[in-house]
Amino acid sequence: MPVPTTDPDITVRAAQLRKAYTVTEKEPGFLGSLRAFVRPNTRTVEAVKGVSFELRGGEMVGFLGPNGAGKTTTLKMLSGLLHPTSGAATVQGHTPQKRGTAFLKQITLVMGQKQQLIWDLPAQDSFLVNQAIYEIPDAEYRATMREFDEVLDLSGILSKQVRKLSLGERMKCELAAALLHRPKVLFLDEPTIGLDVNMQERIREFVREYNARFNATVMLTSHYMADVTALCQRILVIDGGELVFDGDLSALTSGPDARKTVRLQLSRPETAARLSTFGELIRLDGLDVELAVPRGEVSARAAAMLTHLDVADLTVVDPPIEQVIGQLFRSDKKPEPVKALA
Amino acid sequence: MRFWKLLRIYLSASLSVQLAYRANFLAAILSSFANLATGLLGVLLFYSRPEIKELGGWNLEGALMVVGFFTLTEGLISVWLRPNLTQLSEGIRTGTLDFLLLKPVDAQFQLSARNLNLLRLPDMLLGLGLIVWAGAALGTVTLSGALLSAVLYLSAIAMVYAIWFMLNTTAFWLVNVQNITELFQGVFSAGRYPLQALPLWIRPVLTFVIPVAFITTIPAQALRGELGTAALFSPLVALILLAICRVLWLRALGSYTSASS
Ligand SMILES: Nc1ncnc2c1ncn2[C@@H]1O[C@H](COP(=O)(O)OP(=O)(O)OP(=O)(O)O)[C@@H](O)[C@H]1O
Ligand SMILES: [Mg+2]
Repeated sequence: MPVPTTDPDITVRAAQLRKAYTVTEKEPGFLGSLRAFVRPNTRTVEAVKGVSFELRGGEMVGFLGPNGAGKTTTLKMLSGLLHPTSGAATVQGHTPQKRGTAFLKQITLVMGQKQQLIWDLPAQDSFLVNQAIYEIPDAEYRATMREFDEVLDLSGILSKQVRKLSLGERMKCELAAALLHRPKVLFLDEPTIGLDVNMQERIREFVREYNARFNATVMLTSHYMADVTALCQRILVIDGGELVFDGDLSALTSGPDARKTVRLQLSRPETAARLSTFGELIRLDGLDVELAVPRGEVSARAAAMLTHLDVADLTVVDPPIEQVIGQLFRSDKKPEPVKALA
Repeated sequence: MRFWKLLRIYLSASLSVQLAYRANFLAAILSSFANLATGLLGVLLFYSRPEIKELGGWNLEGALMVVGFFTLTEGLISVWLRPNLTQLSEGIRTGTLDFLLLKPVDAQFQLSARNLNLLRLPDMLLGLGLIVWAGAALGTVTLSGALLSAVLYLSAIAMVYAIWFMLNTTAFWLVNVQNITELFQGVFSAGRYPLQALPLWIRPVLTFVIPVAFITTIPAQALRGELGTAALFSPLVALILLAICRVLWLRALGSYTSASS
């Protein structure tokens, strides 16, 4: 039974969503295969273990977690591909798994690792198929393409066979194809995976503009911190199938606790104890060193490192997402627990 | 209507893909003729012995008509069913079925109509030609016989579609179904010969288990004017199979797990 929505502003709601996969296991080698064939050895994997949250219309939310945490599974349930084992989802007032026409016309799911474009044809041809499927009037189609072209710079790549496009060009086309029908709710599963920094920035810009223009709700997973910090105020963190954090990202990236990572390439080995005086030692691997330092003191600390250590190279980067999440769970700054939904 | 528009767009997309691989074209036409020749050769060799005038009530023209229906059906399978339905198990294995399910058009329709292998169109034309030729040679074809035959053949196609689709739907649980569809293909090739020309024990199998007889022999009989309206229960069987197919498909979607990525 879906919980009745009290707030009319809520566009996405997950209530105790759970998904268990049945997997057949097999030992390696031919004999293992034969044994599995005769007597399949099945096991249940609980990928998502009762996740609850609500997204407001127009909100952009980062959905984070380590590999295998259950992010993709959750997004697939919200977009109606997978039937939840238990619990309920509501998106724009619809139950996703029914896959009703009205529901499907309002959402999209972009998967960075899968592609919908027809491989042997120019992307344009796939767009035309989608135009017919979503019944987009010609005028609206042209207007949308013009807008997308402005931000994504599609000119010249639309008429090239998809298999001849670069990864980044293909991703731009994939995004355009997935948003042609101007959905109100976007589920983006690692849309920037494998792209270079410029292309990531371009994609982010596009998502930001789309969100502003159509007041669309965006739920985004990524393993790149920059994607999330650039687009989302709020993050949901899932780990081992359970939602472990639901709250503000800003405290982590710009608050007093925010940190940066300084990567050093030394010319002479140093002891861990000495390095620790410049910041928290995260990695020491021969001459490769990573130190976490408070955001506000980056330049001072970097200067100190350059004067006191034999530094061949120094770069300052955002800490990887896993570290930021890890920081959430330090004893001194416990995040507010996720409030259970009624 | 939207479905027609979509069909048109799918057709033009299929055509564009195939035009991109021009070299295939000649090979496809040659193989169409080779297919037909195999079918014809068996029948012609058999009837070439002067002491044989007919077999199981089928004379040469009748038997050729069966070959015609067989070739037509095989062509239809190559043009329409195989290119579409092999994509189902492929989509399940690789997870690309996701995109189809995300679209606001019936997924079974999309799956059944997206790809057409127009290169195999000559098979259908050759089969049709052979039916017409054999019918003319027989000289006993009536209008009502032709209409009845058309109805029976359409029902037969619906049955082939339903069976083929169901076999492929099992991919949701079995993932790899190539061997199953090959088995169907093997049994179907028995439809090249009139049912009555085959051993007695296999006839019920080819009528009731895998209705190969409905596809070639029965429409040919109707065209020869040999069948009463009793054969009209064929559309009923077709409808039942289509309904079962639909139910199975909907159940399968519930257990779709969408290959991880
Ligand atoms: N189709 C499937 N069948 C069986 N198990 C699956 C399937 N899809 C995912 N899983 C399992 O469910 C768990 C969650 O997977 P999921 O793809 O949701 O993780 P994720 O958070 O998206 O990870 P990543 O960051 O690596 O993409 C994993 O342990 C995975 O092995
Ligand atoms: Mg994933």
